[in-house]
Amino acid sequence: MSDQTVPVLSLRRIAKHYVSGESVVRALDGVSLDIMPGELVGVVGPSGSGKSTMLLIAGLLETPTEGEVFVSGRLVSSPDANLDELRDFRRRNIGFVFQKANLLPFLTAAENVAIALEIDDVPARAALAYATELLEDVDLSHRIHNLPARLSGGEQQRVAVARALANDPTLLLADEPTAALDAVRGRQVIEQFRAIARAREAAVVVVTHDQRALEMFDRIIELVDGKLASIRTPGALEGQVI
Amino acid sequence: MDAGDTSKGIAVNLSFKDIQYRFARFLLTVAGVGFLVTASVGMVGLYRGIIADALLVIDTIGADLWVVQGDRQGPFSEGSAVPLDLDARVESLGNVYNVRRFRQFSYQFLHNGKQSRAAITTLDYPKDNGSWLNLVYGRSIGAAHFEVVADVSSGLHVGETIHMGKDEYRVVGLTAGMVDASGDAMMFITLNDALAISSQRTSEEILLARNAAQAGNQNSGASSSAGRISAVLVSLDAATDPGTVRDAMMNWGDVNVLTQADQSDLLLNQRLWRLRLQILAFTAVLLVVMAIIISLIIYTMTIEKLHQIAMLKLIGARNALIVSMIAQQAAMIGVGGFAFGLLLSNLIFPYFPRRIVMTPEDLGLLFAAVCIVSAGSSLFGISRALSVKAQEVLS
Ligand SMILES: Nc1ncnc2c1ncn2[C@@H]1O[C@H](COP(=O)(O)OP(=O)(O)OP(=O)(O)O)[C@@H](O)[C@H]1O
Ligand SMILES: [Mg+2]
Repeated sequence: MSDQTVPVLSLRRIAKHYVSGESVVRALDGVSLDIMPGELVGVVGPSGSGKSTMLLIAGLLETPTEGEVFVSGRLVSSPDANLDELRDFRRRNIGFVFQKANLLPFLTAAENVAIALEIDDVPARAALAYATELLEDVDLSHRIHNLPARLSGGEQQRVAVARALANDPTLLLADEPTAALDAVRGRQVIEQFRAIARAREAAVVVVTHDQRALEMFDRIIELVDGKLASIRTPGALEGQVI
Repeated sequence: MDAGDTSKGIAVNLSFKDIQYRFARFLLTVAGVGFLVTASVGMVGLYRGIIADALLVIDTIGADLWVVQGDRQGPFSEGSAVPLDLDARVESLGNVYNVRRFRQFSYQFLHNGKQSRAAITTLDYPKDNGSWLNLVYGRSIGAAHFEVVADVSSGLHVGETIHMGKDEYRVVGLTAGMVDASGDAMMFITLNDALAISSQRTSEEILLARNAAQAGNQNSGASSSAGRISAVLVSLDAATDPGTVRDAMMNWGDVNVLTQADQSDLLLNQRLWRLRLQILAFTAVLLVVMAIIISLIIYTMTIEKLHQIAMLKLIGARNALIVSMIAQQAAMIGVGGFAFGLLLSNLIFPYFPRRIVMTPEDLGLLFAAVCIVSAGSSLFGISRALSVKAQEVLS
């Protein structure tokens, strides 16, 4: 990595506090990290440690209570950011994948991908053509015209990945995308992310509980109680505690 | 193309595919709304129909003044009997354009082996040849005796003969939509025939009246009215002041004079008052039920879509897209339901025993109500949908 490379995602001292009545939940408590283009990063940690919260803040779906979010060097979110105004930015720069595919049941696989492009004012015909290409990239060329109900869970998840890629995002965020899949299909999805990071120079951040998939990541970030507990590079025997 | 247009285009596409995907359910929803609309149209129409039927004779017979028995509000709200020759006295007043004698009474006759009921209504032939009848088949009365024009709702046909009193009557024409306030078909015969039929009837009624009198019932005046009529109808010359003519007749002391407006008022606010109020109350209840159910259907439909809406927001859809998608589906259910309801109304109400009147004004108001309810509930759903955070639904 040269000095000139700008991180795709930079979190600076991010804190998120949820206040409910008397008690304050510190979901995130001063997290800073940089994720580089082409990097595939895993996020692990016990339940309630703040993994999803971090993804929501990085994805501009929540504002932080403290700290700043930079995407490709640009300050996009801070405690007083207006998320509705960031919707266009989000659409063009960030893709999401969740545990469930959340496809529109009445659209075919290709249409589900194309809708993300049409929303960004790409004409319908061009959108469908590019959607077909994206589905071919995730090995679904034989399922292009099927409704979601006709697809297996793994296939649905790959359509969701293709949809997340539709607007060529520089940042792809995935929250437990393999939790509903068996080991083989889960691994396929992570491999897909691996390929995407490499081919598109995108930063891919994946929250996962899947121990078997961990060796495929470039780095693994561990959160405990809203704090960065460790950053590891798979292959190294010991985690490097910071 | 600006962003709003694109959003609308995508929304149309999405709504269309969504409906196509669950077409049976969409049809059922539209049918449900449609049946509610039909019921509402029917209820409002029944109300209008009862009023129209009640006012039919008053509105169409073309009389400015009704001369009836003194101190009575006849002949529809109360009984009324005036002498047969009262018309000559009225004519002698001058300034009158037309004077007719009128009588109407219920009558049971045998038709195809079944007892049928009709409201026998007199035509003072030849002065009145029934030009005011809503004739749809055959001709009006053209002879002094033994001809009858019946309403189609009586089930009679032109050319048939029926036995009334001592004689056979031939059906020469049919009217449409001419029934009395209780919905019985009207049968028009000449006044002289009507008098003959009712005098035949009274021989039986005399016995009944006698029994009633013995039982202390004094109110049997109507049954001895065989040789009398109910009212004399007066049409005035255009320049004549009805008040003057009315006062002149009132001075005789033995008659009461009612205007067409008086008759309408008596029917609507005296005789039909309770029925009207009851039907209006039911109509109000039904409209409220319709509003609640339509808004529930549309609101629930929107809430069911929260998940999809969250997903659309997540991939960056503009609010315009989400709003128009919900609004379009609400509109399709509202407008589709109304259209279906209207079609059904037109198909089934003609076969109902009482007249259902559908006026463009009422239908317009009902359509506006359906639109307002649909729009209101979808706005409510839309505000819920827009305030929901994508992550609340998806993670
Ligand atoms: N909207 C919210 N309101 C209040 N507290 C919240 C909210 N969202 C999250 N929290 C709390 O913040 C903490 C972190 O939650 P988060 O969902 O980030 O955990 P997680 O690491 O993703 O857990 P899991 O592995 O179970 O998904 C938890 O204690 C949670 O209860
Ligand atoms: Mg989580």
